[in-house]
Amino acid sequence: MTAQRLRKGGHIDRTRPLTFRWDGTSMSGYAGDSLASALMANGEQILGRSFKYHRPRGIMSAGVEESGALVTVGQGAKQDANVRATTQPLYEGLIARGQNAWPSVRLDFGAINSLFGRFFAAGFYYKTFMGLPPFEWGRGTGMWMRYEKIIRKAAGMGTASREPDPDRYEHAHGYCDLLIVGSGPAGRAAAHCAAKAGCDVILVEQDAALGGDTLSQPGNTSTLQGELSALRACGVRLMTSTTAFGLYDNGVAGLLERVTDHLADSPSWLPRQRFWTVRARATLIAAGALERHIAFGDNDRPGVMTVNAGRTYLNRFAIQAGENIVIATNNDSAYTTASDLADSGASVTMLDSRHEISRSLQSQCDAAGIGIKLEAAPMKALGGKAVSGLTAAIRKGNSWRTDGNIDCDLLLVSGGWSPVVNLLSHRGIKPVWNPELACFLAPASDEPIVAAGSAAGVWDDSACRASGEKAALEALELIRNPAHRAAAQTPGDWECPIDPLYEVRPVKQKLKSFVDPQHDVTTDDIRLAHHEGFVSVEHLKRYTTLGMATDQGKMGNIIGIALMADALGKEIPQVGTTTFRPPYTPVSIGALKGRNVGPHFRPLRRTPMHDWNLDAGGTMTMAGLWHRPWFFARSGETISEAYVREAETVRRTVGLCDVTSLGKIAIQGPDATELLNRVYSNPFAKLPIGKTRYGIMLRDDGLVMDDGTTWRLAENEYFMTTTTAHAAKVMAFLEELLQTRWTDLKVHLTSVSEQWAGVAVAGPLSREVLAACVEQPTRVADETLPFMGVVETTMREGIPARIARISFSGERAFEVYVPSDFGPAVMQSLWDAARPMDGCLYGLEALGALRIEKGHVTGAELDGRVTIEDAGLGRMASDKKTYVGSALRKRPEMVRKNRPRLVGIFPKDRREIFNAGSILCAADNIAGYGEGWITAVTHSPALGHWIGLGFIKGGHEAWQGQDVVCADPVRKGNTSVEIVSPHMYDPQGERMYG
Amino acid sequence: MVKRQSALASVYHRGMYGRPGEPGIRLQEVAGLNLAQVAAWPDNLEPAAKDVAQAIGADKAPGPGYAVSTEQGTVLRVEALKWWLLDCGLPTLDSETTVSLDLSHSRTRILVSGPEASVCLNRLLPLDLRPDRFGVDKVANAGIHHVGVTLWHSDAGYELFIPRGFAVSLWELLVETSEQFGLEIV
Repeated sequence: MTAQRLRKGGHIDRTRPLTFRWDGTSMSGYAGDSLASALMANGEQILGRSFKYHRPRGIMSAGVEESGALVTVGQGAKQDANVRATTQPLYEGLIARGQNAWPSVRLDFGAINSLFGRFFAAGFYYKTFMGLPPFEWGRGTGMWMRYEKIIRKAAGMGTASREPDPDRYEHAHGYCDLLIVGSGPAGRAAAHCAAKAGCDVILVEQDAALGGDTLSQPGNTSTLQGELSALRACGVRLMTSTTAFGLYDNGVAGLLERVTDHLADSPSWLPRQRFWTVRARATLIAAGALERHIAFGDNDRPGVMTVNAGRTYLNRFAIQAGENIVIATNNDSAYTTASDLADSGASVTMLDSRHEISRSLQSQCDAAGIGIKLEAAPMKALGGKAVSGLTAAIRKGNSWRTDGNIDCDLLLVSGGWSPVVNLLSHRGIKPVWNPELACFLAPASDEPIVAAGSAAGVWDDSACRASGEKAALEALELIRNPAHRAAAQTPGDWECPIDPLYEVRPVKQKLKSFVDPQHDVTTDDIRLAHHEGFVSVEHLKRYTTLGMATDQGKMGNIIGIALMADALGKEIPQVGTTTFRPPYTPVSIGALKGRNVGPHFRPLRRTPMHDWNLDAGGTMTMAGLWHRPWFFARSGETISEAYVREAETVRRTVGLCDVTSLGKIAIQGPDATELLNRVYSNPFAKLPIGKTRYGIMLRDDGLVMDDGTTWRLAENEYFMTTTTAHAAKVMAFLEELLQTRWTDLKVHLTSVSEQWAGVAVAGPLSREVLAACVEQPTRVADETLPFMGVVETTMREGIPARIARISFSGERAFEVYVPSDFGPAVMQSLWDAARPMDGCLYGLEALGALRIEKGHVTGAELDGRVTIEDAGLGRMASDKKTYVGSALRKRPEMVRKNRPRLVGIFPKDRREIFNAGSILCAADNIAGYGEGWITAVTHSPALGHWIGLGFIKGGHEAWQGQDVVCADPVRKGNTSVEIVSPHMYDPQGERMYG
Repeated sequence: MVKRQSALASVYHRGMYGRPGEPGIRLQEVAGLNLAQVAAWPDNLEPAAKDVAQAIGADKAPGPGYAVSTEQGTVLRVEALKWWLLDCGLPTLDSETTVSLDLSHSRTRILVSGPEASVCLNRLLPLDLRPDRFGVDKVANAGIHHVGVTLWHSDAGYELFIPRGFAVSLWELLVETSEQFGLEIV
C-alpha cells in the first residue's frame, strides 16, 4: 500500500498542521485528520497485531467497525487502550502506539503463534487444558484455574492504566421532540423537515464532523455547510462526537459525548466525556450502514480494506490509499469509488462476482479506464506484511477456481452493506432478512421509532434524502398520534441485484479466511463450531467469540451467520441473527459514573455542627450517609483510650454528643394519635401532651422494624425520632400506610430531620449544664421536666428549643433540639457550661459503649430477624389493641421458647477480649452455626472489662451456669464466656430515673 | 438572637471560577430562609387554598407544580396537599382544616441564574427545563445525586431547595459543574 496525500481536496485544514507521535516516532498530519488517516498519509501500514495469532493488521475501514487499527492513545494515567484509530481525531501532541505486540507492531515476537495457528481453533484452551491429561489431572477444576491465570495474561489486546483516572466525567439530561441519530443525507433531510414543522430536534453524530456519508463524497464543502447552517437556523441542536449507544424504554436514549478526546490540552473545567440521558418523544434512526468484507485467504493483510474506506480516505482526508488498486465487489456501490479513485490517478481493476452489471456502470468504467472482470473475486491476498497482489478466483458453476495472480498495492472489498439496526435491536425489534439486498432490515416498530436512509436499506444519496423526509413526517405523526403505526421504508435502489457472496472458498485449498478479524475468528472456526454440534447462532457467537466485545457484530456477523446457515443447510432467516445489545460502541466506566466519584461517590450528609465537631478535635466516621463524630481524642490518645475516657466521663460528670443524625418526623393532623397507636406495638393513645414514650414498631410480618421515641407536642402534633439507619425506611413505611391502607386517616408526615440539630446531654451533671444554657432554668428542673418529659423552651440568646429527658446512655440525660442554623451556637453554649464541670464531648464509639453496658438495642441488634420478645422488650407489646405486625408476631415460630434472645456476654477470664460477629456455642459442641451470635462488643469502663451484646437460644436464663464459647475461628479463636442479662450496668435504672 | 449559621458557611467563597469571560452561571445562596409548610386534606383543600392565598395577598393559591408570588411572599405547591410559603412566616390558619410547620432551617436555598442556568442544571437533574415546559413560576421535585431537591423557576432564575445536611455535598457538585460555563459565586 503506497498511500499518498493529495495536494488538494478533502475536508482537512492544510493551514493547520499537527504533530503527533506514533510508536515513538514524530509524524505530522492536519486538522481534520483521524489518527488512521494521518498514519496512512505517513506511510504506516501495520498498526496492530491480531488477538491470537499476532498477525500484522492495518487499517480495514474508516469508522466504528474498525478491527485492525486498534491502538493505545495517551500515556500514564491517561492511557486509553483499544482505541479505533479510524475514529480518533488527530490533535497536536497526540501520542499513540501499537498494542498486543513486542517489541513493536512492525516486529512482533508473538507472531510465532501464527506457526501454531492450526491448533488455536475455537475452544482451544478449554479443549486442551480442561480435564485432559497431561495438562489437567485430579478432581475438580483446580489445575484449570492455574492455567487460566496464565492464559488470561496472554490474552487481551491493549493494557489499561492502573493509575486512578485523572479525568472528569459528567452526566447530562436532554429533552426533545425528535432525536435523530446520524447526520448523513437522510438524517439532515429529516432534521430539516421536522424542525421546519416546529419540532424540537436533537441530531447526534458520532463523528467529530457532521455530514455522514456526504463527507466521503467528492466536491467542496459549501453545500454541506449551507445545509448545516439551515439546520441551525431552524433551531436543530447539533451534537458531534456523540454516539447514541443505546435505546431504552419510553424514548430514552443513552448518548456518549466525547468532549475533550480531540483536544491536546483540555481546560480543567471541561469533562472528558459526558454521559447523556435523552428523553425524546420520537426517535429517528439514520445511522447508516456498514460495508461488509468477503472472507478469502489472508483477507486480514494490511492493505485490504472496505471499498467505502478507500473512498473516505480519498475524498474526506485527501489520501490516495494506493496506486495500483483492485476492487472486489458483489454489488453496485463499489463503482462510484472506482471512478473516484481512477479520477485521482490510480490504476483500478474491478473484480465483480456477478455475471453481469448494468450498462451504465460498464460505460462509467470504460470512460475511466477501469478494467472489469466479472464472476471474479479474490481468492487470496498476497504479500508479506502488506498486500502486494492477490490470487484471483473465477466462478465455475457453484465453485471457485484459481485464475492467476494480479499485482496491487491496495485491495478494496465490498461484500454488501449491513444497515445499522443495532439501536432498534436494543428495543427488542428483531431484524428481518432481506434476500434481495442480502442484509437484515428492521421492521416497523410499535414504538415511536422510525428508520431512514441506508439504516433502512436505502442506498442512493437522493433516495436517502427522500427517505429522511418521509421518516420525519412519520415521526411527526407518531408524536401527534401515538396510536399511529409508521410504515417501513421501501429499501434498495441498485440497478443490478447484489450477489450474496460471503466466502471465496476454492475446492481443496486450505486458506486462513477471517470472518471477525478483531477476535481472529476464521471461516474454519465457524465450520468447526457446526461440526462440534453448535446449531444456535447465539451459541456459535459465544463459542467462537465472533462479534464479541467492542466489535458487537459490526464486522463479521453476517458472514458468520451465512456460513453457519450454509453448514446447516438452511437459509439465513432460519438461522436468525444475534441480538445486538448496548452499547453500540464502548462507553468508559468513568462516563457511567459521572461526577459521583471520590468524595462524591455518595452524597455526604453533614450535621449543622460538622465544622464545630472538627474544630473541637473530633474524628469523623460514616453512619449511613452521615458524617458523625467518632471520638474526640486528646493529644496522644488512641481511639480506645479516647472512647473509654469519654464513656467514663459521661458516667462521672457530663458529656455532649451530636445526635442530629437521628431521624425526625413531624406527625400532624387530627388522626395523628390513631396512626401512632396503629403502628407502635405499645400503647400510644393516652400519651399526655408534654410527654415522650419509647416505642417499638413492627413490620407486617411481626419482626421489629425500628425503635425510637415519640414526643407529644400538642393534641394533634407529634415529633417522632427514629434510628439514624432506619429514618428513611420508617418515613416511607408510614407514608405507604397512609397512602394505601389508611387513606381515611387525616395525618400529614414531614421529615424534619434537617430542620432540627440535636445534642445529647448525658451524665449526672446534665441538668446543671442545661440549666446554665436555657433562659428559664426552672423549665428544665426535675419537677417540670421529669424522666420522659418534654418541654418547648428557649435557649440563651432566644433560640427556640425542644427538650426531652430521655436516655440512651443509662445516665440522667436530655436530648436538646434546636433549629439547625443555631446548632453550632447551642453546642458552643452547652460546651462552655460542661467544660468547667470536667465534662467531655463524646462520639459514636463511646455512645456504643454506654448503650451496650445498658443493653439498649440499635440497628446491629434490630437486623430484621428479631421479634420484640427476642429483643427483650416483649412486655411492652400491647395485647389490648391491634397494630401493624400484631397478628403475625404470634405465629408459632415467632413465639418459640428457644428462639435466640438478647443477652449480655462477659468473658470468663475478665482480661480476655472477644469480637463482634463471633458465634456463641455450647463449650462441648463448637460446630455449625452454634447457638447464637454476638452483635456488639466494647470495653466497659464501668465494669472494667470487655462486654458484649448478642443473641443466644433461650436467652440468658437458659444458659446460667453453663459453659459457653465465643467461637471466632477466622480471627481470634475461642474464648470462654459467660451469658448474663443484657442489662449489664445499673439494671434498675436508678441513675437514669434519679 | 444569635446569627443563623448557613450550611455553606465553610465552603461559600465569592469570586469567579472556571471558564474565563462573562459567566454563564451565577450561584448565590439566599441566606436566612423563611419557609413554612401548610398541609391540608382532600375534603378541605379549597378553603385551605384560600387561606394560603390570603397569607400572601394573592387572588388564588397555585395548582400543583406552580408558584404564585406577591410582594408579601411566595407560595409553592410542592405536593398535591402541601404548599410552601416563602418569606412570609408561619401563617395563622384554621387549625381544623390545615396543619403548618416551620421548615426554615431544613433547606439551603440556592439561586442558579445566568444564560446557561438550565443547561447547567440539566447536567445534574432530570427535569425538562425547556422554556415551554418549565417556565417562570413552575415548581418541581427532583433529585441531584440521589438527594431529593425542590426546584422553583422564579423571576430571578432557578431556585434550588436542598436538604440542609446535603447542602455542602451538592454545592460542591454545582460549583464543579458550573465551572465549564464560567461561574460567578455572588
